[in-house]
Amino acid sequence: MTTAADPTSSRAFATIGIAPTASKPERPMLARDADSMYWMARYVERAEHVARLLLVNSNVLIDVGDVAPALQTQHWQGLLHILRVPALPEPKSEDQRDIAARVAQHLTLDAENPNSIVSCLTRARENARGIRENISTEMWENLNTLYWHLRGDDAHSRFEESPDDLYRSVMTGSMLFQGLTDQTLAHDQRWLFAQLAKYLERIDVTCRVIETKFNILQVNQQTLESPIRNIHWMAVLRSCCSIEAYRRNYVGEMDPMHVVGFLILEKNFPRSIRFSLSGALAAISVIRAGTQVGAIDPAERILGRLEAQLEYAEVAEILSIGVPNYLQRIQAGINDAALAVQKSYFLH
Amino acid sequence: MFDHYEVNGLFDEVFESSGRPRSHYSSLVSRLKALGHPAFERRRRMTDVLFRNQGITFTVYSDARGVEKIFPFDLVPRIVPANEWDLIERGLVQRITALNLFCHDIYHGQRILKERVIPPDLIYGAKMFRREMFGVKVPRDIYIHICGTDLIRDNQGTYYVLEDNGRTPSGVSYVLENRAVMKRVFSNLFGAYRVRAVEDYPYNLLQCLKFIAPNHVDNPSIAILTPGIYNSAYFEHSFLARQMGVELVEGRDLLVDKGFLYMRTIAGLQRVDVLYRRVDDDFLDPLCFRPESALGVAGLMNAYRVGNLALANAVGTGVADDKAIYPFVPAMIKFYLGQDAILPNVRTLICADEADRKYVLEHLHELVVKSTNESGGYGMLMGHQASKEEREKFAQMIQADPRNFIAQPVIQLSQHPSLIDDHFEGRRVDLRPYILYGEKVIVMPGGLTRVALRHGSLVVNSSQGGGSKDTWVLEEESAKST
Repeated sequence: MTTAADPTSSRAFATIGIAPTASKPERPMLARDADSMYWMARYVERAEHVARLLLVNSNVLIDVGDVAPALQTQHWQGLLHILRVPALPEPKSEDQRDIAARVAQHLTLDAENPNSIVSCLTRARENARGIRENISTEMWENLNTLYWHLRGDDAHSRFEESPDDLYRSVMTGSMLFQGLTDQTLAHDQRWLFAQLAKYLERIDVTCRVIETKFNILQVNQQTLESPIRNIHWMAVLRSCCSIEAYRRNYVGEMDPMHVVGFLILEKNFPRSIRFSLSGALAAISVIRAGTQVGAIDPAERILGRLEAQLEYAEVAEILSIGVPNYLQRIQAGINDAALAVQKSYFLH
Repeated sequence: MFDHYEVNGLFDEVFESSGRPRSHYSSLVSRLKALGHPAFERRRRMTDVLFRNQGITFTVYSDARGVEKIFPFDLVPRIVPANEWDLIERGLVQRITALNLFCHDIYHGQRILKERVIPPDLIYGAKMFRREMFGVKVPRDIYIHICGTDLIRDNQGTYYVLEDNGRTPSGVSYVLENRAVMKRVFSNLFGAYRVRAVEDYPYNLLQCLKFIAPNHVDNPSIAILTPGIYNSAYFEHSFLARQMGVELVEGRDLLVDKGFLYMRTIAGLQRVDVLYRRVDDDFLDPLCFRPESALGVAGLMNAYRVGNLALANAVGTGVADDKAIYPFVPAMIKFYLGQDAILPNVRTLICADEADRKYVLEHLHELVVKSTNESGGYGMLMGHQASKEEREKFAQMIQADPRNFIAQPVIQLSQHPSLIDDHFEGRRVDLRPYILYGEKVIVMPGGLTRVALRHGSLVVNSSQGGGSKDTWVLEEESAKST
């Protein structure tokens, strides 16, 4: 035995004043803080989706716009549906007739619209401000800077000049925020609630993107030539931040069934529904294990069942049920899980 | 930038006379001159962005748009040499010691009233006197754990205590953030000086809070109670919680059960042993004080009185920083400690006293009148600047409720250069050091220097358009030779 020389021995630790089992039992976080952590993460993720959808949609319609004006309107309406915007406000003047400009305006800097990017980031920041002692300075400064980027006096002129730049800065800002969350926060309850929220939000938006676009493309199947159709399916993948990963998997082949299968069932890609479900389930399981030992949490049960379904699902089966139907079931499950989380953890 | 700088017949912190800096400032002044205006201006803009992005803001009441504002930061640091600081430190330790003995006495034997050092009427008439605290044993007999004392200098450069803030003084977070920002944008200025560090304040505060934990607790659970994100000092509450690694709670997170205080967590109720409360007495417990308050916790005072919960500061300390009791602090020091006050008070007239009141009413145009329980520069009359109507209004208010007013002569506060447009001009300053009373008394070497940024103004409060400076307390008498 060479205890004295072994740096990992308890004696070696004792000499420098550190106990070998360094982890201290976790202090349970305030219910209100957990609530804010959850919504902060959801709103950041949501802002990123809105920005990406606007960016992708306006770009794809530059490519195919002239070919099918009716389809263009359908796409913008679809976007409103995905983002749960009931109706566009009436145009304020003649030159606001262009639906693309109106949707973009309404969804970006319109503070009256609760689903606009600026509203999402405002609420994310409000939540963060209430729990600054729970998040890292890096996370806070990143989110606060992003907030002022959209709230500052020059935000409107920058948006006019280049909407794309603004969307990109929101997307990058969100990803930076999530990276900082991973790398500057202990992976404890705080981090777990942020993970849970991020994945639930991602599943929800991804379901709605696929469902909406699938409906539009199915209705127009007869009239669309295949190059145009491919552009649209590529746009779906881009909207889910998945085009590059998909191409590597399927070597560029644009088959709608593969696209749907990839976005829903892919095991290893962080943007797929299955991956996100596993992430959400893992988070809630650890949270539950740390707070109510032995019990099974209602949200954990719902997410566990959904995950098992996706693990063994086949694309053919999804088609026989119908893609929209299948996705609506997942969404219903996600909503129930979100309510269950609220009930078990935030309403103490 | 200092070419047309004028001392204006006041005590100037930096210049003995126009063009002649005091020895401890000479190195700073020559560096600022060498820097030039454009470089200085660039750094000023940089600090604005830093403060905004870091969210270092305070909230102004009754401001319809944007509730958050940046506390204007003045980049020229104020320097306090070691010998001056030594005096300040000794004076503050003496003062907080006497004030704590006073609070204990008032809520127990009342020796100071029985021996007629302070008229009992003034105590019983104080809004912040808490009958509920009579006979209550507070942990370690400490009442004021955290004190922010406002110091000013007159035109001779003598330091005076203007007021003691022994309830929930704020501003310490700006001291720490100002220093952090200075180090970022002006690191080279520090080179010529040995500036004492202020960064251990949160650690010292935490030790102080642990020291007062109830006896039965080994590892106390500590939290800060805030009124919420709309409170003007919310940034500070959150800052201190982060610096100390303790929970920041609101009234709605808490409940009292069987005489113990709990917070609601995702794993159910968890006990709280020590509460650094940043909520006024009035709002702490609706069962005891204001019944409509939603900021506090029903039953909190019971948990406190039976000793299951420690509060910092104690309930009822407002009796010690009431402005009509302030004039008696030198007498308290004499009474409890047998010493003369090291830091003098500003001469103060008590309107509750008949002779004083008569004098005040006849000399309103040359006095500053203050309401005894307001803070933040509210409820104040600057007699020499006020209109006839304002003076008459105050005269009526004084006659209607004399106990609520005191008056002081106008003190010509010392001035310090601030950058105004492209050159330096003198602006009035005060100084608020922070004192912690735990196992020992610790005076933070530094403090918040507040600046009245409006030309000619004597009011430095942030709610009245004031800004702040970093305050450098030096290790030795003057600058290192460079």
